[in-house]
Amino acid sequence: MANNISLVIRREFLERVKKKSFIITTILMPVFMLAMMAAPALIMMVTGSEERGITVIDETGTIGARLQSDKETHFTLLESTPLDSALADTEVAGVLYIPAGIMDGKVSPRLYTNGSSSIALENNVSSQIDGIIEEERLKQYDIENLDKILEEVHSDVKLMSIRNDKEDGESQSASAAVSYLIGIILTFLLYMCLLLYGQMVMTSIIEEKNNRVLEIVVSSVKPTHLMLGKICGIGLVAVTQILIWGVLIAAMSAFVLPAIIPDTALTEMSALNAGTLDATSASMDVEILQAMSLMSNVGYILQLFGLLILFLIGGFLLYAAIYAAIGSAVDNIQDASQLQSFVIFPIIIGIIFGMTAASDASSPAAIWTSFIPFTSPMVMMARVPSGIPMWEIGLSLAILYASFLLMVWIAAKIYRVGIFMYGKKPSIKDLIRWARYK
Amino acid sequence: MDNILEVIGVSKHYTGHKALDDVSISIAPGTVYGLLGPNGAGKTTLIRIINHITAPDSGTVMFDGHTLTADDVSQIGYLPEERGLYKKMKVGEQAIFFARLKGLSKADATTQLKRWFDKFGISDWWDKKIEELSKGMAQKVQFIVTVLHRPKLLIFDEPFSGFDPINANLLKQEILQLRDEGSTIIFSTHNMGSVEEICSDITLINKGKNILTGNVDELRHRFSDGRCSLTFTGDPRLLMERLQPMSSEFFLDEPKGAEQRLELKLAPEVKLRDVIAAANEATDLIEVGRVMASMNDIFIKTVKQTENND
Repeated sequence: MANNISLVIRREFLERVKKKSFIITTILMPVFMLAMMAAPALIMMVTGSEERGITVIDETGTIGARLQSDKETHFTLLESTPLDSALADTEVAGVLYIPAGIMDGKVSPRLYTNGSSSIALENNVSSQIDGIIEEERLKQYDIENLDKILEEVHSDVKLMSIRNDKEDGESQSASAAVSYLIGIILTFLLYMCLLLYGQMVMTSIIEEKNNRVLEIVVSSVKPTHLMLGKICGIGLVAVTQILIWGVLIAAMSAFVLPAIIPDTALTEMSALNAGTLDATSASMDVEILQAMSLMSNVGYILQLFGLLILFLIGGFLLYAAIYAAIGSAVDNIQDASQLQSFVIFPIIIGIIFGMTAASDASSPAAIWTSFIPFTSPMVMMARVPSGIPMWEIGLSLAILYASFLLMVWIAAKIYRVGIFMYGKKPSIKDLIRWARYK
Repeated sequence: MDNILEVIGVSKHYTGHKALDDVSISIAPGTVYGLLGPNGAGKTTLIRIINHITAPDSGTVMFDGHTLTADDVSQIGYLPEERGLYKKMKVGEQAIFFARLKGLSKADATTQLKRWFDKFGISDWWDKKIEELSKGMAQKVQFIVTVLHRPKLLIFDEPFSGFDPINANLLKQEILQLRDEGSTIIFSTHNMGSVEEICSDITLINKGKNILTGNVDELRHRFSDGRCSLTFTGDPRLLMERLQPMSSEFFLDEPKGAEQRLELKLAPEVKLRDVIAAANEATDLIEVGRVMASMNDIFIKTVKQTENND
């Protein structure tokens, strides 16, 4: 009989892996993700943003002339024009009115826009005006060599965040921003896998039930074994996909990255890892250096993917079991939609907590939800890049795996009854009743 | 020889109703056994229990001399009424998959399948997907999948539905040949004509209870109620007048040329000999025969009887 489970697993696995759509998504997904990340920058580069013309009415006589135009905003100073007549021109993007009392901080400048404004524009205008006012006020103190003093006073620290509590020798330095990014990517990856492959289990069961092939299969395979075989087969497809991506990324970090990263960056990266890098003299931003250093650390990437696969397996088996129970109970996809909310709801809660956990891995909400089995895969994967104690990961995995065993056991009971039920759309009450059958 | 299958006092409850209530049947090896009953009588439940898909609440099923276990399903082939195969899977791959589920090795399955495909003239379907085949074509594939592992017990649920007469006949020949080669066949159908043709014994189930069991020929005799038929030339009115004291019912067929056939139901104690004598005086007798009840009549009569008793 065990042999039959492996036959079912084989069939489910091969049927999907051999499909063109699997091969295409496996290859295209990383390309797509890269494109998603690069898209905003690319779009900016290609289209550029349109230049906004801003008419400036300046009652102070000092600020207006010093506003710097750039690619996006072009300031035109109108001398001795009253505000009302400037406002009559609706062709310009906006009119900036700088009242006379602005130097004393008693009144505010006003921006009248034709059409929508933008945060970037508003920030640009207010920071320029602030700068000019501050400069003017400083000048009133009549300090000698003011520019030189200011330059010496100016500070721009680059915070290097290094984990102190890491036990392994090579302290991996990861800034919060880099961990956040990796955490978000991992959470989303897991979220997608759970949802897509979980639903695959459900639709596949509904299809079998619908075209009655089930009757033949269960005359050779126990229903429970069939369900397990199906879940494992589809789970293997998910694991295979993640493995392929893991190997691709690891290969990239081992062979491609070292070849394309400039030598200076390489030496800086090793200095960074040794903790001797002087951030102010670095040729590029420290966070980018850290990100590159992480990406070129094959061991780290393999470790991440290893954990990802462990949580994927646990989370998938947990959710797939619920999906299987739902699929067995209904006759068609339409009937499933209502019951499906029992799965989608916790998955969405998982991704929401996952996103907050990525930004703060040690908040109480993040810690608690990373132990609750329904949310733990996504939340844990968001926390892992920030570096959390191994025992937390171990405990979370243990709870997750124990609960999937329980869930599979319950689902098998429902499945066994559900697959032979046709017609009436079952309620959650029915499912509970079926689970109680001996 | 021992019975291949013994169902002893099997009951099965579902919430709200009794699907099977103390049903027992015995099936001798090498026979075609009809499992009959109206829709919802409990046939499918019984078949599922025999297939070890569901377990009975009480009672036992003995297969080939021992209690039925999960391992025995490799000795059983089941063609369900509602047919279905994996639509996206290729015919050959799919057939091998099902054969391996029944314990055949891949190599064995392949050679046997090739032989069956040749026999049915469908070899060029091997690499087609099921969804590309017509319903009848898919049914052929399904039949092969059912019998491929040469099971001792075959269960066919409405095997002829969806087949044209030529293919239905082909299938019937194959079923009979499987029987001759030693397989035992449980045949579930609503087509009583085919029951008369191929079944040796039947069990009729209604509302979860076994209401009639027996040999097909014996049942048809028993249910004939002493009916006989006379084929004759001459005046039918005269004949019926003469036979009036002996028979309670007459059924006169349309004349075929000079010949005409009269069916009559003999009153108890009336001897066929006396009927012949009386008929001979009135007309020229050509043929005298005993009328067998059709399985159709037996089915309707028995089911109605039990319904009235309720």
